[in-house]
Amino acid sequence: MQYKDYYGILGVARDAKPDDIKKAYRLLARKFHPDVSKEPDAEERFKEAKEAYEVLKDPEKRSAYDQLGAWRPGQEFRPPPDWEQQARDFRFGYGTDAADFSDFFSALFGVRGRRNRAAPGGEFAIRGQDVEAAVRIALADALRGTQASLKIMLPEIDARGTITRAPREVKVRIPKGVTDGERLRVPGKGGRGMGGGPDGDLYLHITFERHPWFRTSGHDVYLEVPITSWEAALGAEVEIPTLEGRAKLKIPAGSRAGQKLRLSGKGLPLPAGRGHGDFYAVLQIATPPKLSERERELFQELAGTSRFNPRGHFGGS
Amino acid sequence: MSLEEIVDSVMAMEDPAELTLSELARLSGLSREALRALVECGLIEPRSNARGGRRFSVRSVRVARRARRLRADFDLNASGLVLALTLLQRIETLEARLREVECQLLR
Repeated sequence: MQYKDYYGILGVARDAKPDDIKKAYRLLARKFHPDVSKEPDAEERFKEAKEAYEVLKDPEKRSAYDQLGAWRPGQEFRPPPDWEQQARDFRFGYGTDAADFSDFFSALFGVRGRRNRAAPGGEFAIRGQDVEAAVRIALADALRGTQASLKIMLPEIDARGTITRAPREVKVRIPKGVTDGERLRVPGKGGRGMGGGPDGDLYLHITFERHPWFRTSGHDVYLEVPITSWEAALGAEVEIPTLEGRAKLKIPAGSRAGQKLRLSGKGLPLPAGRGHGDFYAVLQIATPPKLSERERELFQELAGTSRFNPRGHFGGS
Repeated sequence: MSLEEIVDSVMAMEDPAELTLSELARLSGLSREALRALVECGLIEPRSNARGGRRFSVRSVRVARRARRLRADFDLNASGLVLALTLLQRIETLEARLREVECQLLR
């Protein structure tokens, strides 16, 4: 396992005062807490900071850590041979999930003795840890449902009672009807419970791959449809892609840019067969980038003939 | 692990309310008192079932778990927690709205 430089992670000196350590942790928590942060690696960064703080805020754990001496961050590390003999019983803050922490942490401050004592009675049954995993799917998969194969790190307890995280492959079925950003709960597929406690749950965070044409908002699907100014003025029937192949779209005469035409029930399926969201074609008026001689003549004729003034409401002439 | 077993067990956050307060407490790690406080400020909204009991949706689990994390990781007191959760929910509503508007706006 790799040595963790807890002082470096928090960005404090080895002789930092408890207050400075708390301050440094709070700063990192504000920046990287996964519930408030948009940083891409927020979760990992926060876990590190939390683990470092868990050790450095507690005088007992901090002094034990300091006794290891100086190592380089990331250096291959083995706990000193006499480490396990020293019967330590480290305290953990309320609600601390030691399983969240690194192997390095578990090796030093692992909850060995305690787990062994707690095991058979059931009185100290501990519920398995909940695990979150991100799943990115294509829009087409949301339409029909799909299977995803996930590699997740699940906390497991080995024979000596040490918590380690082992990769496990889990197959999950993503039901049709999920939306971008939705969270699914898969009960009992998280970490194993201990001492007769129930298994934790697996939470899936679903996101959609970006589609070249379609955007989604909940179960509604949006498609930007470019039309010409004469199609907008005269009306037209154009062919557009939808989730279920191509479809004809009737553009009414006198359409405006930004107008939404609804194809009702052509969006993503709602869960449990409760119908579908809607599909919206959003009109955009496209102008030929280059006019032919004849096109220019026709536009000029229109400009000379039409008395339409779209800016009449501004007043003036 | 049989795949079929998983198929049935996947629950969408939109699913109808079905958890009792005790189940929500067990799933979130929050005490029943703490959960009642969240219900009182409308951060978690139970629905009444046919027999008049309160039932919570899976979405509530998410809010409650988040509450537990924020409270532990930031040392928040009750009012700080309510404020943080309220603001986060507001950000989420705004982000959803922004998303919807972005879909309609051309680029």
